[in-house]
Amino acid sequence: MTSIPISDISKGAKLIFDNAPWLVTEVNFVKPGKGNAFYKCRVKNLVTGNVLEKTIRGGEKVDTADVSDTDMTYLYSDANGYVFMNQSDYEQMSVPQKVVGDDKDFLLENMECQVTLWNGEPIQVRLPNTVTMEIDYTEPAVKGDTQSRVMKPAKLKGTGATIQVPIFCAIGDKILINTESREFKGRTDK
Amino acid sequence: MVERVRRFFAERSVLEVDTPLLQPGANLDHGVMPMRVGDAYLPTSPEHALKRLVAAYRHDVWTLAPAFRAGERGQRHQPEFRMLEWYRLGWDDARLADETVEVLRLITALPGPAERLSWRDAWTRAGLDPDAVQAEGGFTRDERLDLLLSERVEPLLGRGLWTMLTDYPASGAAQARLRRDPAGRPVAARFEIYRDGIELANGYHECCDAAELRARHDAELPLHLGCAIDAQFHAMLSDGFPDCAGVALGFDRAVMLALGLPDIASTMP
Repeated sequence: MTSIPISDISKGAKLIFDNAPWLVTEVNFVKPGKGNAFYKCRVKNLVTGNVLEKTIRGGEKVDTADVSDTDMTYLYSDANGYVFMNQSDYEQMSVPQKVVGDDKDFLLENMECQVTLWNGEPIQVRLPNTVTMEIDYTEPAVKGDTQSRVMKPAKLKGTGATIQVPIFCAIGDKILINTESREFKGRTDK
Repeated sequence: MVERVRRFFAERSVLEVDTPLLQPGANLDHGVMPMRVGDAYLPTSPEHALKRLVAAYRHDVWTLAPAFRAGERGQRHQPEFRMLEWYRLGWDDARLADETVEVLRLITALPGPAERLSWRDAWTRAGLDPDAVQAEGGFTRDERLDLLLSERVEPLLGRGLWTMLTDYPASGAAQARLRRDPAGRPVAARFEIYRDGIELANGYHECCDAAELRARHDAELPLHLGCAIDAQFHAMLSDGFPDCAGVALGFDRAVMLALGLPDIASTMP
């Protein structure tokens, strides 16, 4: 952990406040004439995603967070969590379940993810924006209706998660899913 | 823009002067940190040098000079910028505020009338009472006042017009003389001009009391680590400084406004 003057930080800096790592998404220098100087920063908590405004006195020092993004491949899950392999040094790392959260629904073996490390510990896993998954089970397809907005549940192969898909989808279809919104984006094979 | 300013002052017999960039002592304004070069300080405004010229030659003077302020970088701040500063002998702050608006109109060509608004009335306009502000969230009362001023009060000033903010609290006098407002409260004979929420100029009916100014600078000195008092400047004050009003106008901010640029950095090469 290093301390730097607040005047040295810019957008993208990663800092520690209240024992948590935060990403600076916006910095504004404010100072009335012959008055005190302040830095108003918009920061995002890298663990919880919370966003808040921090006002810091000009001349104060802040602690930088040792945070880095690493490309890793998901291998398998066990009782302790999810095991990833660092693509550069092939080291394996176990990521706790709570860090992966609901993203586990779309996490398939050999998927390439970005794992954010703080002081060497994983704090966030970013899946690809879009993943392709196969429908394991769904109600029989309604043929011909490819424009329908009527949805039905479909269970996904590999994770067993259920998402809403249009009624024309059938078992065995490979579908595209937006991992952020958890929505059906289309079919890959038809 | 500079040509228009030059003609304006020539027509009024205000003498254009150059000021040195190395000062033996520092400007000691609250919240403004000078930069140090060797054993000298760069001016945070040409104030000290201009005042010494005013004292020596008893003549109205103006300059467009570089100014430097450590650690100031943002949308409306750059560590190096240009200050248009001038002094008028025998004038008071109200008269100089009018002329400052005239100069700003000349530089920016922006339309709109001018209004005079006291510092207290500006807070009232924002629905705030400065007397009710308390220390909070780890910030002192003084800091909270500055934060609220920047966030709530200043954005309302100079919207489509030129706001002359007057009657500053005595604690924010800097180098202005003190007087009483209509309610009998001590206030500083200081004004700032705002346009579209942006502070453009800061002027005073100058304090000529050498002992008073020395006391104000002595009080600021501990807040300016590594800075020395400008002994040359204070010696001049002791020898007698004439009754006058002076104003410093952030030239680059005026240019930013005139050209509709998003920040000060865009006005620079």
